This record gives sequence, C-alpha cells and structure tokens, in this order.
Amino acid sequence: MPLSGNADEFAAQVKQVQITLQGESYIMSAEFVYQLSEKAKEAMKNGVPLFWDIQVKLLQHREVFWDKTLIDTAIRYRIQYHALLNMYRVRNEGDGEVYNFSTLSSALGLMSAIHDFPLIEKNELVPEKNYQCAVKVSFDREALPLPLRPIAYIDPQWYLSSDWTLWPLKK
Amino acid sequence: MAPEKIKFPINLSVLILFGLILLSLQLMSSATQESSQLSAMYSWLLLVNALGSVVLLILVGANIYSLIQHTKRREAGSRLTTRMVSLFVVLALAPAVIVFYFSMQFLHQGIDSWFNVEIDRAMEDALELSQASLDQRMRWHLKQTQQLTEKLEDSSENLVTLEIENLRELSGASEMTLFSRQGRIIASSSINPGDILPSLPDEHIWLQLRQNGEFVAVAPIHEEELMIRAIVTVKALEPQYLQALYPVPVRIADLADSVEFAFVRYQEMNYLRNSLKVSFSLALSLVLLMSLLAAIWAAFISIRNIIAPVKELVKGTQAVASGHYDQQLPVIAQDDLGFLVESFNDMTHRIAVARDETRKAGVEVENQRAYLETILANLTAGVISFDVFNKIRTANQAAYRIFHIHVNQFIGRTLLELVENYSELAEPLKSIQRLLEQADDIWQQRIAFLGSNGRQELLCRGTPLFSQEGLRVGAVVVFDDVTDLIQAQKNAAWSEVARRLAHEIKNPLTPIQLSAERLQHKLAYKLDPTDADMLQRSTQTIVQQVLAMKEMVDDFSEYAKPSKKQTVDIDLPRLVQEVLALYALKSGVKFKADYETGLLMINGDPVSIRQVLHNLIKNALEAIDAHGLIEISLHRVQKNNTDFIEIALYDDGPGIKDEQIEEIFEPYVTTKAKGTGLGLAIVKKIIEEHGGAIWIDTSRKVGAGFIIQLPACNSEQL
Repeated sequence: MPLSGNADEFAAQVKQVQITLQGESYIMSAEFVYQLSEKAKEAMKNGVPLFWDIQVKLLQHREVFWDKTLIDTAIRYRIQYHALLNMYRVRNEGDGEVYNFSTLSSALGLMSAIHDFPLIEKNELVPEKNYQCAVKVSFDREALPLPLRPIAYIDPQWYLSSDWTLWPLKK
Repeated sequence: MAPEKIKFPINLSVLILFGLILLSLQLMSSATQESSQLSAMYSWLLLVNALGSVVLLILVGANIYSLIQHTKRREAGSRLTTRMVSLFVVLALAPAVIVFYFSMQFLHQGIDSWFNVEIDRAMEDALELSQASLDQRMRWHLKQTQQLTEKLEDSSENLVTLEIENLRELSGASEMTLFSRQGRIIASSSINPGDILPSLPDEHIWLQLRQNGEFVAVAPIHEEELMIRAIVTVKALEPQYLQALYPVPVRIADLADSVEFAFVRYQEMNYLRNSLKVSFSLALSLVLLMSLLAAIWAAFISIRNIIAPVKELVKGTQAVASGHYDQQLPVIAQDDLGFLVESFNDMTHRIAVARDETRKAGVEVENQRAYLETILANLTAGVISFDVFNKIRTANQAAYRIFHIHVNQFIGRTLLELVENYSELAEPLKSIQRLLEQADDIWQQRIAFLGSNGRQELLCRGTPLFSQEGLRVGAVVVFDDVTDLIQAQKNAAWSEVARRLAHEIKNPLTPIQLSAERLQHKLAYKLDPTDADMLQRSTQTIVQQVLAMKEMVDDFSEYAKPSKKQTVDIDLPRLVQEVLALYALKSGVKFKADYETGLLMINGDPVSIRQVLHNLIKNALEAIDAHGLIEISLHRVQKNNTDFIEIALYDDGPGIKDEQIEEIFEPYVTTKAKGTGLGLAIVKKIIEEHGGAIWIDTSRKVGAGFIIQLPACNSEQL
C-alpha cells in the first residue's frame, strides 16, 4: 500500500484566487493544480469517470457567531477517457459543455482555471462588513463506482480534494 | 395458582433491534446493485452498519467483561452462564464460519468466472476493428483533402473563397477552411450557412501540424456525432493549411459508439474486479459479524433470564446455609425452575417455622433455668450438684456463704481437689465425698467441723439423680449451717435449767441455813464442849455450803437473764482502757493494747460488755498465774458487707487443749480447780445476744487467744 506519502500528496491545490470589481459586480478568477495519483489515472484509463467540484463560498465575517454564508455554489466537472478515440473528454455538468483533449494534462488544464466567474453584485454587500471567499476543489468519491467507494475513503491515493482556502474580498 | 404468563425469553426491544439490523443489512445488500436507488447511500449504509457492529461489539464486550468479573468473584450462577454462553458461541460460530468461508469462495470464483481471456481479446479486437475502420476512413479523407489542395495551390486569395465552396461540395465535407500559417482564416465554407465561425484547431493540433505538415483525427462534434478533421499543407507562395471536416456516417458512428461503450463497460468491470470482491467480502463479513454479535448479545440476555432463577436459588441456598431461613425467592416463571423455586420457598418457610418453635422452646427452657437459678441462688441452704463422676456441676451462692469458697470456680472438679486448696475444710468435704460415693439413696447427716469462725455444724442431705432410663447421672447435696440453730436450742435449754434451779433450789436454801443456825444457837450451851465443837463445825459447814449454793444459783440466774438491757453507743477503746486500769496494779502482769485509729464504736449494754472483758481478763490472769503478758487489740473488719469490730485477746499461758476447744463455751466446762464454769458461757451468751461471735483463735500456737466480733455502729448513726 502506498501509505508512505502524506495524505496530501495527491490533493489538488488552490493556487491563486483573484477577485476584482468590474463595474458593479465582483468577479473571480482562480487557478488550481491537480495531482492525480497512479490509481486515479489507472481507474480513468479503464473508463471510470471522475468528478470534481470547484466549490465557491462567499462568507460574511461575524464577531459572535460563525460566518454567514452568502453564496454557496459549485462548478462540477466530469472527466472521462474515451478508448475509441484515445482522448479525454471533460464535461461541465453545469452548462453541459463538452471539451475533448488528446492528453490528460490538457484536459486537466481546462479544469485548472476559471475566469471571470461572477460572484456578487456590489450593492448586495454592506460596506462595513468583512467578506471572504472560500474556495475548494473537491473530488467526489460518491460518484465513483460502488465497489471503489469504500476503498476511496481508506486509500490516500484517492484523497484528491484540496482544503478550503480563504481569500479576502477587497473593496 | 397465579395466572400463567407467557414470557418470551427475548423482549420487544431486542426484537426491534434485530429488525433494524436485518433492515440495514438488506438495504446495504440492495445498494450493491448498481441500478438501485440506494446506490447513492451505499457509503452511509456501510458506515451505519459498521457503527452498528461496533455498538454490538461494545455490548458483547461489556457483557463478557461483566461475566469475567462475576466469575472471578465466584458469584452465584456465573459459572453456569459462562458455560452456556461458551456453548452457544461455539455452536453459533462454527456453522457461520463454514458458511462464510464457502460463500467467500463462491463469491470470488463467481466474479472471476465473469471474465476470461477470450472475451478480453474479443473486446479489444472489436475496439481495434472500430479504430481501424475509422483509421481507414481518416486516411482516405486525408488523401482526398491532399488531392484537393492541388486545386488551391495556384488560386489567388480572392478566388479561394469560391474554390473552397466548390471543393467542399465536391468532397462532401461539412466544413472547409483555409488558414494562413499564423492561423488566420483565409477562407471558409460550411454546409450550414449559419455557422459564421469555423471550427478552430487547438494548440495541440497546430503543434502537430507544424511538425508533420498534416493532421488527421476523429473528433466528436456533439455528444453522439463524430467528425474527421483533416488538415493538410497547401503548397503556395506562402504555405497555407486547409482544414476539412468530414462527417462520419451516423451508422458507423453508432456502431463505433456501441463497441466503445461495451469495451469501456467491460474494461471498467475488469478493472473493478478486485474492488468488487473486496466490497462484497466486506458486506458479507459485516453481515456475518453483525448477525453473530447480535446473536451472542441475544444469547447473553436470554441466558441471563434463564439463569436468573438458578442464581436466586444459589443465593437462597447460601442464605439458608448461613442461617437466614426467612429467605423467600421471587417466582419468575411457571416452569420447572419456577416449581423448584416454589418448593425452595416452601422448604425455607417450614425451616423458619421449625426454627422459631425451637427458639421459643429454648427461650422457655432458658427462662425456667434462670428462674430456678434465681431461686437456688437465694436459698439460704447451700446446693451443690454433681455429675456421674462426682465432679461439681453447679453450686449456688449459699454454698459460698457457708464454706467461704467460690465453689463455682471448681466446676468439673471433685470435692477432694478442693481439699488440696482449702485444708481447713478437709473434714466436711471428705465426709460429703465419701457419702456421695457410697450412698445409693437419699441420705442425711450432720457434719461438725471447726471453721474459720469457730465450730460449725452442717446438716447435709444428699439425693442421687437418675435419668429417665434409670441410670445414675449425678447427685445433689443440700446443706444448711445449723450451728446457730443448735446453739440457740442449747442456750434455751440451759436458760430453762437455770430458771428451774433458781426456783427449786434457792427457795429451800434459806430455811436450811436458818435451821442450822437455830440448831447451833439452841443446842450449843446444852452440849459438852466436844459435842458443841462438832455441832459448831457442822452448822458452819452447812451455812457455808448453803451460801456457796446460793452463789451458784445467782450465777445461774445471771446466766439465764437477758444481758442486753440498756443499749447505748460504746466507745470500745475507752471501755477497754477503763477495764484494764482496774488490773494495772497487778504486779508481774504486762498489758499490751493495740487500737486501730478511727472510731471503733459498738451499740450495746456497757455493763454486759464490761463483764465480758472482766471474765476474759480474769481467765487470762488465772491462766498465766499472774505472771506474763496479756495482749489486747481492736480492729475494724468487714464481713458479708457488714462492719465488725474485732477484739482479740491473747495470753502467753499454757493455752487450751484441743479436746476442750469444741466445748469450752458450754456451761460447766472449766479447766480451773475452782469456778462455776459459767464464765465463758456467759461471755458467749452476751456476745451472741449483741449479734456478735466469739471463737478461739486456733492459729495461735502460744497461749490462748479469743476473738470477738461485734457489729460496728453505722457511721451514719454517729
């Protein structure tokens, strides 16, 4: 069992998140890095589709209580290998867009960035309050075929999700 | 009989739990079916079942721990529970493990049998065939496109747009586009006039294109449609690229799709084969584990219920063994064990009743015994009982009072053993022992002996005791100190004698005396001198003897009349001092007086007490023949919780002979040549009339010693 590496060895990372004000609304751009383990690659090569969610939350900081969640949304990607054409197909589950790539890295490249993601209208924010944007790339184990699921919870090779990262919203 | 209640060994909550376990397992089993709605909940179900197993494991563990503790403490029923649980676990475990083992075998073999090399090969071949077919089509389209470029080579940029339109229609392509080397669109034609922007090759294609000068690939346009993209270099002044998109016929695309779907599915299944085995094994193990643990737990509960009455019985038996007969056990069930418990309750109840009766009888006997003992203790007569070996069994208080021996301390010993410790009582004890040994019937005997308080006389009466079978089991001796009684009888007799003497003898004495004097007076001058002298001597003798008889009769009346006439408190040392003063002038006699400090008072008639002292001192003086030492001492002593003043008087004369000691206080007993023999008798009478006692101190070896004890005056009265 490749338990030698630490649990984050194959975890995705949130590299960079930028929130800018364009006109009257805040938009977000982000970069991610995926580090697929051998087992994940092998499963994909054998036709198992993998699902990732890029989760985005907008939190309003509160002193007493826990932070209030203003926005909780996700972009869901499905990546699958097609043996006939020897290509990787990435599908955005939200809008149904399908992208085909001849290599895995270019397929992951699509999932590695989001551009101009509209976050919130400026007038919805209270100027005195502090806001933070929480971003996470999470691998959906529950979407794996049933026999793989228990293993995915045990084997670090299937710990592909990143942690939550917090990015301040500068006004 | 109480109405029978049918109780299930396992209660409702346990049944519900079993139901839940079965439901959970069933759900998990259903979830493993891919198509099932529950598939999404598979992980949760697995977790719930695992947690359930852990909970059951904890329950079973707690039960086992508790059982071990109980067994260590050797609690009632714990060993039986251990045996039953072990038996159940072994019986349940063995078939379950066998079924589990073979299920695993079948499972693995079953899964493996789905896959084999032929199908593997066929699947790969089918995919390869599809790929080959598409490949051929691609190459054909590439060649076709290359041929088309020749027509474009010489065309000017203006004409190209028209030419492309023609070429596209000619070739059957759905879209045709001419790019500059930098990727700029020079001309484009599409079967669909609505498409303004042609399909653009991505960077990867450009890279390949620049390397190879041509590119061909099948690409999916939409979900199901396939498109062959062929790009070739157009040899012109400035190299250009012609991209042509050819639609793959729907039928071929469908077939290829179908082949790919089947291949992917098969490959996925093949890939997941081991995971599938693992997950089925996991589910199976979980099912086995849960059902086994649940069964063991249920076994614990039901065995506990079965053992409960046995446990109670064991506890009850232990309680009865330690003497608690009031133990009543609850009857839990109306089965054989219930019957046993009922019988046990009956038994203990009867034992308790019998015990109570025995106890009551014992208390009755004890009360009787205490009653008898009280009576015995308060008897004035001494009572000593003996066993068959003539050893002392019991003795009462009066025995101590009479013998001055704590006879109670000699229980289990014979009277002869007492003799060793109390030699002064040797005579009566030996007599009683002898009588005990000899007598077969009731006997009675007077035994006289010299005790510490002088001569004592006992009236003993012995009765042998026989058992109901007629065997001799011992004897009881009752004895009474009759010394005082006999003395009183003697005194009364002497008093009577004295009274009669005074009355019968004294009266004729005066006429005798007068008659003799008259004879002398009338006949003296008528007789010759010789006869007259004889008459003179005879009448003188008569008168002298009459006077002596009168004196004797006076002494007797003195002895007969009561001495305690007027009682006052007497300061004894002073009285003794006064009496001694009268004898102080006697030469040759030395008096030594010793008085204890403090008040030494008695209540009595001073004249009588003075007479006592005179009589005793006179006796002593006569004994020492007016030369010697007379000691007199006064002490306070305590006897039977009463204070006495002891007067001890010793001389250093010849002493009293042993044979006289017993009767020296009797009237007419004397060692002297002259004297009436009433002196000591009067002393004894006076002392006894004052509630005291006098005896001869036999322990003194030189001279004679008299000890008088008189009751002291109460200090409260003083």
